[in-house]
Amino acid sequence: MNLEIFNMEVVRALYIVSAVLFILTLGGLSNPETSRRGNQYGISAMLIAVTATILGPQVSGNYSIMIILILLGGSLGLLLSKRVKMTEMPELVAILHSLVGLAAVLVGIVNFINPIIEYVGIEKTIHSIEIYLGIFIGMVTFSGSIVAFGKLSGKISGNPLILPAKHYLNLIMLIAIIYYGYQFVSVETINHAINPLTMMLLISFVFGIHLVASIGGADMPVVVSMLNSYSGWAASVTGFMLSNDLLIVVGALVGSSGAILSYIMCRAMNRSFISVIAGGFGTESSVVSVKTEDQGEVQAIDIDEFKSMIAASKKIAIIPGYGMAVAQAQFVVNQMIQILKDKNIETIFVIHPVAGRMPGHMNVLLAEAKIPYDIVYEMDEVNDDFESIGLSIVIGANDIVNPSALEDPNSPIAGMPVIECWRGTHTVVLKRGMSTGYAGVENPLFFKGNTKMLFGDAKESLSKVL
Amino acid sequence: MDIGILKESARQERRVAITPNVISKIRKLGYNVLVEQGLGLNANFFDSEYVEAGAVISDTSNIWSCDVILKINKPHEDEVDKLSKNQTLISFFSPSTHPDLLKKCAKDNINVLSMDSVPRISRAQKMDALSSMANIAGSRAVIEAAYTFGRFFGGQITAAGKIPPAKVLIIGAGVAGLSAIGTASSLGAIVRAFDTRPEVKEQVESLGGQFLTVSLDEDGSSTDGYAKVMSKEFIDAEMSLFKEQCKDVDIIITTALIPGKEAPKLITKEMIDLMKPGSVIVDLASQQGGNCELCNRDEITEYNGVKIIGYTDLPSRLPSQSSELYANNLYHILDELTPDNDGVININMEDDVIRGMTVIKNGEITYPPPKIKVSATPKTQEKKIEKLKPVIEKKGSFLPGFIAIFLLFLVGVFAPESFMNHFTVFVLSCFIGYMVIWNVTASLHTPLMSVTNAVSSIIIIGALTQISSVNTLSLILSGFAVFIASINIFGGFAVTKRILGMFKK
Repeated sequence: MNLEIFNMEVVRALYIVSAVLFILTLGGLSNPETSRRGNQYGISAMLIAVTATILGPQVSGNYSIMIILILLGGSLGLLLSKRVKMTEMPELVAILHSLVGLAAVLVGIVNFINPIIEYVGIEKTIHSIEIYLGIFIGMVTFSGSIVAFGKLSGKISGNPLILPAKHYLNLIMLIAIIYYGYQFVSVETINHAINPLTMMLLISFVFGIHLVASIGGADMPVVVSMLNSYSGWAASVTGFMLSNDLLIVVGALVGSSGAILSYIMCRAMNRSFISVIAGGFGTESSVVSVKTEDQGEVQAIDIDEFKSMIAASKKIAIIPGYGMAVAQAQFVVNQMIQILKDKNIETIFVIHPVAGRMPGHMNVLLAEAKIPYDIVYEMDEVNDDFESIGLSIVIGANDIVNPSALEDPNSPIAGMPVIECWRGTHTVVLKRGMSTGYAGVENPLFFKGNTKMLFGDAKESLSKVL
Repeated sequence: MDIGILKESARQERRVAITPNVISKIRKLGYNVLVEQGLGLNANFFDSEYVEAGAVISDTSNIWSCDVILKINKPHEDEVDKLSKNQTLISFFSPSTHPDLLKKCAKDNINVLSMDSVPRISRAQKMDALSSMANIAGSRAVIEAAYTFGRFFGGQITAAGKIPPAKVLIIGAGVAGLSAIGTASSLGAIVRAFDTRPEVKEQVESLGGQFLTVSLDEDGSSTDGYAKVMSKEFIDAEMSLFKEQCKDVDIIITTALIPGKEAPKLITKEMIDLMKPGSVIVDLASQQGGNCELCNRDEITEYNGVKIIGYTDLPSRLPSQSSELYANNLYHILDELTPDNDGVININMEDDVIRGMTVIKNGEITYPPPKIKVSATPKTQEKKIEKLKPVIEKKGSFLPGFIAIFLLFLVGVFAPESFMNHFTVFVLSCFIGYMVIWNVTASLHTPLMSVTNAVSSIIIIGALTQISSVNTLSLILSGFAVFIASINIFGGFAVTKRILGMFKK
């Protein structure tokens, strides 16, 4: 049976339609209003691309297997998407990235053992490089994402793995990969190429693991977006390998999207991309000159005082951090703001770009709790107006509200933009105890005269306020 | 230990040192609390409330024998006589202006902690009763002025005509001054404020006041958190500013106090001559001689139609509020004095705050305390430190550009045409991606990642084009790739849809 309905020109035309729709998909995300339509575009684009490919001249058999596999995979995917809790989104995204990486590896290997077109001369060299590069990126994405998944889901420790001479280790692995790449490209027959390819697969598998394992928990947003980027580049290189422009275009879109996200996340922590990749907080400057000067005492308050502080405020800013996600406090927070609304107290949310474990993590949690997105603001939108805010409630956040980032040039987080809630009238910090944040830095905010601490589980404390 | 609280003996005093709210907290520190009958009546606190909170009603002689006596006003001479061995007294004391009283109390192992000697450091703010009282006094001063002033504070346009807003000048933007600024501007008046310390400008403006300055450059800040005495030139400039203002404003509230000294005379008789009849001056410094030349203590003086209010009991005119705040200040002090919550007072002279307050320890005068570094000044300096700049900055170097062009040139030299076609598409797509992604709002970064994740499974096309192979291994591998890519496509889009569905206005 051969369902070749479209000729190659029609397939290409449909690919153009698909590529444009993919661009519109990403464009739609500029605004929550248009984003839902954007997702529809994406679905249509994928549908068009897959249908055009299947009905085009490139596919000439095994239709039933194909359809069964797509349906099987699809049902599994749908099941996953229904089951996943919103707090588990970072894990899901990570594991899905690993699948793209693995698919890229497989496609590369198949193309290697069963080339569709025989190339000669420089074209053959380039093609071999493309295969090699595609498999390499795919493999790093695959193993890196699996480690990221493990870290995010708590299956492996979130602490950075610090091997001795880890930078040299990375360098040696990269050199080895380049060496085997040279061998892979220069050998004449496929049989001779299998050895270097296998070596590269092994090394890049370890490389991916080591790359992510050495990055600390607070840097996870960067890691997740970095892997996102890699999965795009893997697709793009595969496009080169198969001479398929659609793959190149879409892969490049995803790749640059992930790269920009990584950049935004790095900027939000005031760290260079290299330093994030090279290792976690506290490793580069473990001898931190934390000032031992007497910071004074924190002022603890109880629920009743907290209640009366809330009642006395006209405008409240809630600053959530990863601790809110851990305590699952977002639903209680929503109940609370409903009550405040009835009392005519204005409530806003202020989100730091790296709050949580993935870009936009807090926004998703708040959206899940049905908190309207038009009262959720970014850090930069609010930082200049804190004077007008009567009460800031910090829920499970630490480093993102640390004034030493601005005031202490010796602080490990110096220069990182932070939410300047201490400039408001009062701040209440909901916290379990006096532990430091991921960066391991003391937070002078807790000792400021206008800061009060409410110790205990955030969810419990807030539900008592209701 | 037993803590005793008596009615205040001072004339016209309506405040009370301890309120029922605080009693349960004090009892948690391990103390028994004895109160005089009818203790809080003038401040609207009933005996039943005290008893309910855990206090015991007792007679005065019993209370005088308690281990700790809490008061507001400094003790009267006969009260000093009643103080017995090993007792601790906590009250306002003004040790600098009352050295004789200090000497009289220095007997019999008595301890005296003076509420007005709490050092002005940020840790001690919760114990600083002077600030609490000044806050109330400032607010009440405006109310007294409004009561005496024959007009509205806020402007209105009515059918009967236009009412201009009152103009209020507040001299001294300390706690009392700031409180007055807030109250006056919330009544709708136009508020101007003057202070010798330029750093309070921001605070004045944050409360809705306009900060007046003289052209001379002199900073009145000092290390103890209060204003200091200024130079003659500055005072001249200041006086001419006040003179100008007197012609214009309706209300003047003066709060200029320099600790331990007579209040500076800021409003002279000739200035008052310039004021409109019906204007009001409230002099919060009248206890220390007054900022206004014609002010009489505890009286309203009328001169040329200008009323000058010299009340010294403004906090006492809001008895419930001031008692509540004073009681809280006292509680915080007791909390500091009782680190083990065992109901035993421990006057730890190593502690800066307790050291500063303790004017008599074990019958010996320990006033004045050694100077401690006050955090107020370093703090203001800290503010001046420019915010640290992020290290990631765009460097205007052409080098990367040149390298990129050179590399592209190399690619062009060696690569075949087919590669160049794809490469063009690739580079342009990267730029499209770059342009499009910057428009994505930060709140949608998670759906962006999940949708790009689904989109990147476009790699399924690569697998599909190879699945028709006759080679079994190829078929298995590409079949598996199709399978996992499908998981990703369906899962990615579905989860994105789910997330986006939650983003509601």
